[in-house]
Amino acid sequence: MTAAEEVAILPEGIAWGILIAFGILWVILGWYLGRKNKTAEDHMLAGRNVGLALATATAMATWVTANTTMTAPQLALQLGVWGMFGYSLGALGLILFAPLARRIRELMPHGFTSGDFIRLRFGKFTWRVFLVVSLIYAFGWLVSLAMAGGVLINALAGIDYRVGMTVILTVCVLYTLLGGLRAVIGTDFVQTIIIVLGVAFIAWLTIDKVGFEAIHFNLMEERPQLLNLLFPAAIMFLFNNLFFGVGEIFHSNVWWSRAFAFGRSVGFRAYLLAGLLWLPIPIVAGFVALATPALGINVPVADMVGPLVAAEVLGLTGAIVVFIVVFAALASSLDSLLAATSDLVTRDIYRGHIRNRASDHEQFRATKVIVVLLGLVTWAAASYRGELPVIGSLAEVLYFTGAFVASAIWPVVAGLYWRRANPTGAGLSMIAGTTLGLVSYFTIGFYVAALVGAAVSLAVLVLSTWLAPRDFDWRLLAEAEPHSAAPVTRGAR
Amino acid sequence: MMIPVRLRCRSLLWSLLVLVGLTLSAQGIADPAFDSPPETDSAGFFKLNWDGAERFELEQASGPEYEDARIIYRGSDTRTTISGLPNGEYRFRIREEGAEEWADQAVVVVEHHPLGRAFLFFALGAALFVVLILAIARGRRLA
Repeated sequence: MTAAEEVAILPEGIAWGILIAFGILWVILGWYLGRKNKTAEDHMLAGRNVGLALATATAMATWVTANTTMTAPQLALQLGVWGMFGYSLGALGLILFAPLARRIRELMPHGFTSGDFIRLRFGKFTWRVFLVVSLIYAFGWLVSLAMAGGVLINALAGIDYRVGMTVILTVCVLYTLLGGLRAVIGTDFVQTIIIVLGVAFIAWLTIDKVGFEAIHFNLMEERPQLLNLLFPAAIMFLFNNLFFGVGEIFHSNVWWSRAFAFGRSVGFRAYLLAGLLWLPIPIVAGFVALATPALGINVPVADMVGPLVAAEVLGLTGAIVVFIVVFAALASSLDSLLAATSDLVTRDIYRGHIRNRASDHEQFRATKVIVVLLGLVTWAAASYRGELPVIGSLAEVLYFTGAFVASAIWPVVAGLYWRRANPTGAGLSMIAGTTLGLVSYFTIGFYVAALVGAAVSLAVLVLSTWLAPRDFDWRLLAEAEPHSAAPVTRGAR
Repeated sequence: MMIPVRLRCRSLLWSLLVLVGLTLSAQGIADPAFDSPPETDSAGFFKLNWDGAERFELEQASGPEYEDARIIYRGSDTRTTISGLPNGEYRFRIREEGAEEWADQAVVVVEHHPLGRAFLFFALGAALFVVLILAIARGRRLA
């Protein structure tokens, strides 16, 4: 019997019922929403005219993910009150991306991917560095989401980790395949409503059943450092998490594809609103982990603490609610990431490096094949949870990518606003930032990797631009056909 | 009656093998034990793994004499996450549930990062954040 099986309180039959019912719902919804997709642009960017309500919902739902529903409690258990507060600073990523989304839409009315922007703005060297950074991050996030699915099902229902992970991944691959970004945004809207209502319900029941006084007393007795505002690792973590969140959003095609897909004046307001609405969610979700000492629960693996506490406190009804909420949160992020990453691979690897003259139909087909391949590779990596040296708990996998994404913040900001930024310096800043960020990950801890990556990247970009500034004509970003070869050369030099 | 030398050697060999086998088997089922516990911790959280029985009792204490010892887990799990401890030397003991004697112990020294280092990273983060806000605000104005 595994550790999780001992505490599983959701009968397997009910868990399978929820999985099958919601799985069928998402797949049918995905098929229905995507049935009018005829071109690669329809599939990838939902017609470039998504309205404010759907735009806000998809941005918020995508950002409520394994990070929020499972890693936020993990960080509260490991780093205390600063852990969950620091996690909520991830909202600043969405809020700060609001002006960038408007600028992206203005500069690149025909853009498809974040890779398009980097290629046109900085040239091929920096584009390739960016693709490596972006794909490593996307893969890390995909694996951590698939792992979260398996962990959740195992913790609540005792279903084998690999079986649960396989089911969730298969459902998401299926409806992303059928409906593209339209399906992703449509399902995100429904999933957002489930997540917000469910998280509020769980927090209210936890406070009602355990009580603030009991939680505080037991923390002071058994884990006092979790309430200490001078907890050193937690202080180091605060801005690290902020820059990790900012790096994730600023560079990732998940958010760029939405900036391209939202209506002209929608992006700014949608990202701002989504950030403000997201802000309290990690605090509410993470708070339940602080009830661990009061409840006397053993936490075998830190990333299981959220589901374990919820199941213990809330009983069968609570376990069902948690299961549905986290399934919705995972699906809303997995689908977005599958869609955005397949777009990036299609545009920037398949069309950019393998088949330059691929027709729209070929791209449409390639996007679908790539979604399936991504699903398979993710499944293979997530199957080895805890059995490879690098792949450990959710937070460890996630923050490993922190060094990569934080080093891409300044190239994106400088690319959008700084006319004289040095193109090669932008590429070198990502290499140097990632390298030293990873060194700090292994020598100090996961809670500083993004911060170090961002600091080093800024230093290299500023220095290279100071030594060799290059001028850039913003109009080159508005190319009519986003993948013609000529503007690459002009944009790069 | 004389036993041939070859037969005596074979009997001796079998006896040795049986003895070694019994010893190994006894070791296999005898005592729960920690699996590579950490010696120090600076992050403020660490994992403990153990094995060797069906059900366990895990005890935690902060002094060498186990004066303030308390059972922190009883059950069939084979690992736990420890967090929220202040600086100090912590002792953990494991045994099979219901057993008289403790089977194994682990000593973990918790020594958090110095506050000076923590605030250095905090200041670096705050400075970068200000630069980021200014870069976006100034960029929007000039764009």
